[in-house]
Amino acid sequence: MNDSLVPAGEGPLAVEETGMREFLGFVVGDEAYALPLSSVREIMRLPPVTEVPRGPHDVLGIISLRGQVTTLIDLRRRLSMPESGITARTRVLLVERRDETLGLLVDRVLQVYRLREDEVELASVLGADASSYVMGIGRPGVQRSSRRSDSEEAETDSSILILLDPMALLKQYGGA
Amino acid sequence: MVDSSDRQRAHDEFLAEAQELIESLSRDLLLLDESQKQGQSNPDALNDLFRGVHTLKGLAGMFGFERIGSMAHVLEDLLEDLRLGRAELTQHTLDVLFEGADGFQRLMAEAKTGELADIDLDAFSTLIHSVSKAEQSAPNILADYDLDPGMLSVLTEYEEHRLRTNLEHGSTVYRLRIRLPLDVIDSALEDIKQRCKNVAEIITYLPSMDGGGGDSIDIEMLMASQATEADLRAALDRQDGKLTVVQRRVRISRSPDPRPPVPSQRPKDLPEPTFAQAAPARTQAEQSASLRSLSSVVRVDIRKLDHLMNVVGELGTVRSGIGRVVEKLRNGGDAMRELASETHRIHRTFNRYLTEVQEGVLDIRMVPLSQLFDKVAVIVRQTARDLGKDVRLLVTGSETEVDKLIAEELADPLMHIVRNAIDHGVEFPEQRAASGKQSQATVTINAYHKGNHVVIEMSDDGRGIDSASVRESAIRKGLLSDQAVADISRQELLQVIFMPGFSTAAQVTDLSGRGVGMDVVKTNINRLGGAVDIESEEGVGTKVTITLPITLAIINALLFEVRGRLMSIPLASVQEALRLDSSMIGTIEGREVLTLRGETLPLCRLADLFKFAGESPIHSFVIVVVVGNRRLGLAVDRLAGQQDIVIKGLGRSLANVPGISGATDLGDQRLVLVVDAASIMDEVLAPKGNHLLVGGPS
Repeated sequence: MNDSLVPAGEGPLAVEETGMREFLGFVVGDEAYALPLSSVREIMRLPPVTEVPRGPHDVLGIISLRGQVTTLIDLRRRLSMPESGITARTRVLLVERRDETLGLLVDRVLQVYRLREDEVELASVLGADASSYVMGIGRPGVQRSSRRSDSEEAETDSSILILLDPMALLKQYGGA
Repeated sequence: MVDSSDRQRAHDEFLAEAQELIESLSRDLLLLDESQKQGQSNPDALNDLFRGVHTLKGLAGMFGFERIGSMAHVLEDLLEDLRLGRAELTQHTLDVLFEGADGFQRLMAEAKTGELADIDLDAFSTLIHSVSKAEQSAPNILADYDLDPGMLSVLTEYEEHRLRTNLEHGSTVYRLRIRLPLDVIDSALEDIKQRCKNVAEIITYLPSMDGGGGDSIDIEMLMASQATEADLRAALDRQDGKLTVVQRRVRISRSPDPRPPVPSQRPKDLPEPTFAQAAPARTQAEQSASLRSLSSVVRVDIRKLDHLMNVVGELGTVRSGIGRVVEKLRNGGDAMRELASETHRIHRTFNRYLTEVQEGVLDIRMVPLSQLFDKVAVIVRQTARDLGKDVRLLVTGSETEVDKLIAEELADPLMHIVRNAIDHGVEFPEQRAASGKQSQATVTINAYHKGNHVVIEMSDDGRGIDSASVRESAIRKGLLSDQAVADISRQELLQVIFMPGFSTAAQVTDLSGRGVGMDVVKTNINRLGGAVDIESEEGVGTKVTITLPITLAIINALLFEVRGRLMSIPLASVQEALRLDSSMIGTIEGREVLTLRGETLPLCRLADLFKFAGESPIHSFVIVVVVGNRRLGLAVDRLAGQQDIVIKGLGRSLANVPGISGATDLGDQRLVLVVDAASIMDEVLAPKGNHLLVGGPS
């Protein structure tokens, strides 16, 4: 059931040695986003969701993760994106946040991007309006993985990735 | 890596063991305190205390916790002086000792977190020494008695002190000479000790030089007792011993005779070996006794039990799965019938063993409430002394057992309630005397099991809660409107105390006014699936009653459906579930009520409360829930049977969702929410919007 792409934090090349940083790219609504690969523990298909009445708006409900009760956050709502329904490609990213694992619902997972220093721009280029959870812009320009299929490329412009800061993104859910 | 995890484990081990020791220190201190107040000495408690501190010192030294070690060292000095009668046990000394126990507790936190605790060891050491020097021992009374100088000379300093103390308290000293077979001497001695345990104190015993044969030995015992010779004889129940009373040499008048101190006679003409032989025999007996009691106890990390509990819970869902298979097979025609009955048998056997395992694991998690009440007793003593109030604590039912987890979560609420009772409830002795009460106030704690619940009642005979000041405070803090306050009944008014931001204390005291109030108590108790109620009568006292489930681990739950969503509720809070007939529903002041066998109770439609979207609900059943002494009807669409469930908490991200206490996995990967009866009850029964200016989260 879990189509784990990459075991978190165990990339073939260590980040420090190559000056590269690894990100997991995914699509929410009509934008391409990415989280640091090390922050994503697992990728899974959407399990049955139990709605929690009177919970926060962004929270879709709870799911059972091998018996563990896990809160599922709808990233479409969190990122104020249109909700396009659940498809066969809908995935849940499991992200550790301090003492709790949270599930993040995304429309589609792209691939792992290894970005060089010069392929990452700081969020400050977006000006003061940028949300606090955006930590930068990734431009995986020339360096592409051959695994990526062309059909995906056509649907969403993944040549620009909005790099998300997991801590800031999830802070509001009872964290620090 | 391995090295550091080993060290961590050793560290944890130390913390666990030290924690146990420190808890028993508090217990012994309370015993000492009690006897001291009654003007008696309690050598057993003092010795246990001394041994505990000594062990703690050793442990701390072994694991390199220097500050705990030096704290134990200075305390040990004081205890040694007390044990030997070189210092006298006064309330002041006890204060210092309690302070020491508290200091240990804080040093433990320091050991756990690495954050330096605010404790001045040098100042404490100075304090200790001032206490032990304050009192010198009393004049020697031993010279007045016809004691065998040979025996006197081999008494240790401690034994001599015990003998002296006993004589000063008017006990009679007896000598018992008895012949015991050598091969079972340990058990024979133990037997004698047990027999006279409640009647007399054995000061010492020595093997006699004369008498005895090759396979037996004569033992000379010195014991002190308040009992008559005949009673002691009866307790001993041995015909072969020779019991004699040690006579006082000089006849004196009844009034105490102030006598100059006489140095004890210590002739040195008795051969050394006698002592050397006697001592090891005794210590060995003591040691083997303590080893035996330790070896039957296993300390287990609660997380391991939690894991086991989870597995058992999962097995429960497997069992339910098999149950469903049996049902399907039964309906599958003749061919399946045989298979059905065979599976049914297996299912039944599985069920029986699983139940046993469940009960076993649950039982391991159970701890007596005495652990908790001991801590409360320390708080009572400290709070009362700090405030200059005279309070005695009466505890009943401390052997009542609850889940370890609940016991832990209960600690803070209990402390808070007790502090409140003494701080706000109990009057000063002179005020009590003026109003015709006993100057000593009584705080009572009573615990007992009631069905699947444990009930803890805490009452005081203080001034009770003053309605006027609650009203005034509620208005001033904007919790209630003037109008609402005028309408409210006393019982409803008392509920205001549980509202956030409420505190009646005219000035916030250091003790109970720490910004947390009864609302936190209530929240904590509710989170455990329990309820807290308060009764109070002005001038007479206040009683707080806490009702809690015995365990949180596995509970029996009622499953039901609301707008197509499966939900559950602990059966412990369900009184009954029945078909809902429209004739049973009425309206009072805009609220729906249910009339059940002539009684009226509020009705809550869960689909509306939870704002579930979907087709209009059927509401064909009502579940009557009862929490504490309040009842409520929950309208639901369909009942879906009972099942044992393991409640798992929602994560911190959903910690503030009202009405839900957790979720459970029924085995098909889908989670089912567990409804929190107590919090729904609070929500539904709370004064309506126009009464309540500040409510729960909107």
